[in-house]
Amino acid sequence: MTLKSSQLIWGMKLMLRVKNLHAYYGRIKALDNVSLHVQPGEIVSLIGANGAGKTTILNTISGLIRSVQGDIKFEDTKINGLAPERIVAAGISQVPEGRQIFGPLTVLENLELGAYLRFKEKEKEAIASDLDWVFQLFPRLKERSGQVAGTLSGGEQQMLAIGRALMAKPKLLLLDEPSMGLAPLVVKDIMNTVSELRKSGVTILMVEQNARASLTISDRGYVLETGRVVLQGPSDELMNDSDVKRAYLGKDYKTFWEGRERV
Amino acid sequence: MRFWDGENEQMNREDLEQVQLERLQSTLNRAYKNVPFYKKHFDALGLDPGDLGSVQDITRLPFTAREDLGNNYPYGLFAMPLRDIVRISSSAGTTPKPVVVGYTMRDLKVRGTVTARFLAAGGVVDTDIVQICLDPGLSNWGRALKEGAENIGASVMPMSHMSTLKQLLGMQDYKTSVLLTTPSYAMHMVDVMGTIDVDTSALALKAIMVVGEALEEETRERLESTFSIDVTTGYGLSDVMGPGIAFECMEKNGLHISEDHFLLEIVGSDSQAPSASGEVGEVVLTTLTAKAFPLIRFRTGDLGFKMAGPCPCGRTLARMSGITGHTGEVLTIRGVKVHPAQIHRIINKNAEGFSPRFLIHLYKESYLDMTEIWLEVNDTLFSDEVKVLEATLKNLREQILEMLGLHVTIRLVEAETIDQYAKASGGVVDERGGL
Repeated sequence: MTLKSSQLIWGMKLMLRVKNLHAYYGRIKALDNVSLHVQPGEIVSLIGANGAGKTTILNTISGLIRSVQGDIKFEDTKINGLAPERIVAAGISQVPEGRQIFGPLTVLENLELGAYLRFKEKEKEAIASDLDWVFQLFPRLKERSGQVAGTLSGGEQQMLAIGRALMAKPKLLLLDEPSMGLAPLVVKDIMNTVSELRKSGVTILMVEQNARASLTISDRGYVLETGRVVLQGPSDELMNDSDVKRAYLGKDYKTFWEGRERV
Repeated sequence: MRFWDGENEQMNREDLEQVQLERLQSTLNRAYKNVPFYKKHFDALGLDPGDLGSVQDITRLPFTAREDLGNNYPYGLFAMPLRDIVRISSSAGTTPKPVVVGYTMRDLKVRGTVTARFLAAGGVVDTDIVQICLDPGLSNWGRALKEGAENIGASVMPMSHMSTLKQLLGMQDYKTSVLLTTPSYAMHMVDVMGTIDVDTSALALKAIMVVGEALEEETRERLESTFSIDVTTGYGLSDVMGPGIAFECMEKNGLHISEDHFLLEIVGSDSQAPSASGEVGEVVLTTLTAKAFPLIRFRTGDLGFKMAGPCPCGRTLARMSGITGHTGEVLTIRGVKVHPAQIHRIINKNAEGFSPRFLIHLYKESYLDMTEIWLEVNDTLFSDEVKVLEATLKNLREQILEMLGLHVTIRLVEAETIDQYAKASGGVVDERGGL
């Protein structure tokens, strides 16, 4: 049983508040007036076709893309324009698309790198206990802590990427396509892990091509189409929405509106 | 149960504004993409949905008028393909063409939710027996109320064609605890009760919730003291939107707007600028979650004002007054909006090129709205033969009933009678007053 947003307390302030985000790749508009929010303790999905702007949203929040117009507030502090490391320090970590683990390094070294900012802060003891926590979440990583990361399976690499992000002790985790390239059973594993993570107090904003998998574990979702939000709502409503079904849960159309004309 | 949807009815204002902005932006994106009417209107003003940066920016968008609904008859304003529509409801509207509204499954769910908010705020709980008494003209609302009450889990007696007497007997024998009706029908029931042997103290009634017409304080007091109950009201648009747009709580001091689903502006009727809080203006409605039938800055024709300050009930949803009147010539007859021009058109169609003069006379009979049409006698429309004349009048009555759902009687009058009121043809003599 996952904690649904209806069980959250509404008097609580929103954790992340994004307003009127516009972003460009050269002359191409990647995001056109995107607004969204995340409540503490939620899992929120961003779904949409390739190129709809999902990853761009995560990259603007984490500060990887800085030339954006709009307003991003994390716990009531404006964070857009800040350097990525300052955003990590504020409590937001990103698990990038395609994992991007350090292949030649060991699993343990990868995880320690995730706590890079905190080593400087001399939080050694806290880091050690977080490492235990990550190993608890992913026993497989503990078994393989001395193994070179590049030799891990796809699912294990994804776990490592998530574990590495957790080592920064984030309040909000940005997950980019965690299921990419993974076998269905492994996807299920990863999604279960994400649900577990939330129970341990991490809030999650997740981008997924696999709309069904991500809506199943999330509380709410936003549907993106060519850089614009065209629909949002509780995940169970989105899963039953005829446009969402048509575009993402069955036929895998390229655009949100495709298939409508065939009445 | 004070709240049906507590978390959304008590959202803090800053969060609510964020939710409104998000929903408004996606509504505009969907409407722009899928409804040619809106795209055309935005393009004409050089507006792009991507330019809207705040909820307040909505004032830059063009209005949608009631005529636009008729002009896009039947499906022109639908933003979803018909196969995704699960309910189509049609009503006379106030233009030559009827108003057709579609709902997706999700839209019906939202309607059921906001209606349940209204009902819960008025005291409905799952153990209640809810009786719905509405005119056929409000059958859309009858369904919305039924679904809302069923959401809560109450036992519902839906609208039916029973006479007032039968309704009253039902209310007594089935131990109705909540009556859903119009203010005037509630008063009419009280009137009829006086003629039969119904003991008010033996009734199980605990609340009357009224829709369709403005609830006058005098009416509220009369009903509350007659039955020793609470009377509250809700606001909606009978032709386009259910009765849960705004609703009273037990404070009975203004109607809480379901702001997470509807954006309501009060617009100064002449200047078109937004009215200050407390100033009467036209209610302009934008849907925030509707998928099948989005409305953007729809001019409702209803007048009201915004109320400032928090409500002791705990809801953070802003409040508006009850409807204080209507713009233009639109009339509300038994809760249904009627435009005199609609009657004009029907009469003209039957007069073969000649426009007979007439007046619409509204009055009350046992609290119920009655409509009489005073038609000037002239040779073109009428024959000397009584039979032919009767057939003509019957035909007119039937057409008005068929097109507008309105029962009328037609009285033939001399030219002087029309002159006496010195009103344009199709003018209205409204003698309904208060109680």
